[in-house]
Amino acid sequence: MKKVLYTLCFLSALMISDTAAAQGFLKKLKDKVNKTVDNAVDKKAGIPPDNSSGNNRSNSPGSPTNKGGGGLSNTAPPDVKAQIAEAETAHAAKNYSDARYSLQQALMGVEIQLGRQILKSLPPSVDALNVDTLQDVVMSTQWGWNNLSIHRVWKNTADKQLTITVGNAGMYAGLAALYFSNAGMVEANGAKQNFKQVRVKGNKAIIQYEDSKGYTLIVSLGQSSMIVWECINFANEQEVMNTANTFDIDKIKKMLGEQ
Amino acid sequence: MKLFITFIAVIAITSAGVAQDFTKAITTAKTAYSAGKLEDTHFALQQAMQEVDLIVGKEVLKLLPPKIDVMEINAKEDNVASNVGFIGATIHRAYDKGTRKADISIISNSPLVAMTNMVLNTPLLGGMMSDGKSKTVKVQGYKARLEKQPGSTNDKNSYDLQIPLGNALFTFKVDDCTDTQILQFADTIPLQQIAKLIE
Repeated sequence: MKKVLYTLCFLSALMISDTAAAQGFLKKLKDKVNKTVDNAVDKKAGIPPDNSSGNNRSNSPGSPTNKGGGGLSNTAPPDVKAQIAEAETAHAAKNYSDARYSLQQALMGVEIQLGRQILKSLPPSVDALNVDTLQDVVMSTQWGWNNLSIHRVWKNTADKQLTITVGNAGMYAGLAALYFSNAGMVEANGAKQNFKQVRVKGNKAIIQYEDSKGYTLIVSLGQSSMIVWECINFANEQEVMNTANTFDIDKIKKMLGEQ
Repeated sequence: MKLFITFIAVIAITSAGVAQDFTKAITTAKTAYSAGKLEDTHFALQQAMQEVDLIVGKEVLKLLPPKIDVMEINAKEDNVASNVGFIGATIHRAYDKGTRKADISIISNSPLVAMTNMVLNTPLLGGMMSDGKSKTVKVQGYKARLEKQPGSTNDKNSYDLQIPLGNALFTFKVDDCTDTQILQFADTIPLQQIAKLIE
């Protein structure tokens, strides 16, 4: 009796699985037929085939794609003398809004000139790496002295690269100052230290190492400025420090008006 | 929002500049620039900018009405503070009579005003920020945010009216009044002329 029951159970299980498999097979077949028929009907009706993997879907129908343009022309930095003169005229005419605007423009002009002077003062080659002038950036926003940022890259044909950013950004500098004033935050206990305080030509600095980014050295200058060196594929900490020491930090500091 | 404004005010107060003479600063800037001293030029230009902000502030104070309803100017509270960089200038005036007090503060050239503008112009965001104590109103054609102050009771309410004017924020606060009254008081302030001066 038991044997018969087992056999019956086995047979019914087999039938169920067979039915499920058969249903799956039928569905696939049905889908395939539907697709073929749909395509054939579409072809007859002149409807283009459905290409769901294409990029065309991102554009709404009928809106053209921009293929290119002249871009924006590079405007010369504001003429400081002209802007000062305009500010004086506007002030005399009691047009204070324009006076303020002209002063902002003059400030921007001064900042860009200063940034260029700093760039000029940086060495053309550092540690056998050559400057890539195409990546030179002097950026100034109109927020008066707080967002002047100067950027330069040196590299060689291999993967070694040095990037320097001289910035006058009160916000970040404040964060860096927090580290300097709180030794506990940077002294790691582990055997391998990836973050520590150092000095570069007598200036307080922090150095950090990350496998994915390489070495980052940040020197705080005076009240709100800082220099950041990002060193990719440098052999060791000493090499980074030697490279940083080749820069005339005091000169940059003086140019930025820091004490 | 209140915390935010207090934060701005604290920054403005702590870094308030001293009045500088515009002409003197401009002359210094020109001399320094001719001598190639860029850092000195920069500093002098900032001084000139502070001076412009202070003049604008004083002009705005002149435009404000001598009386709001029965409240009179509390001259001791008149204040114009300038700060180059983050905020242009903070202009402040207070009015009072008995228990009723009104307070006007204008923060000019502040990039933070964008936030109030965003709340006013995005109904969804306005709805999310709303706790049933604030609503969007119009004052002399300008969109504004009217907020009932916490701690207000049924018989004595305080209201806060915030009006973004270009990149400046105009805040009008009245103690002991109704929402209709504060809007009536706000109508006596020449907003358009102020906006023209501080834009």
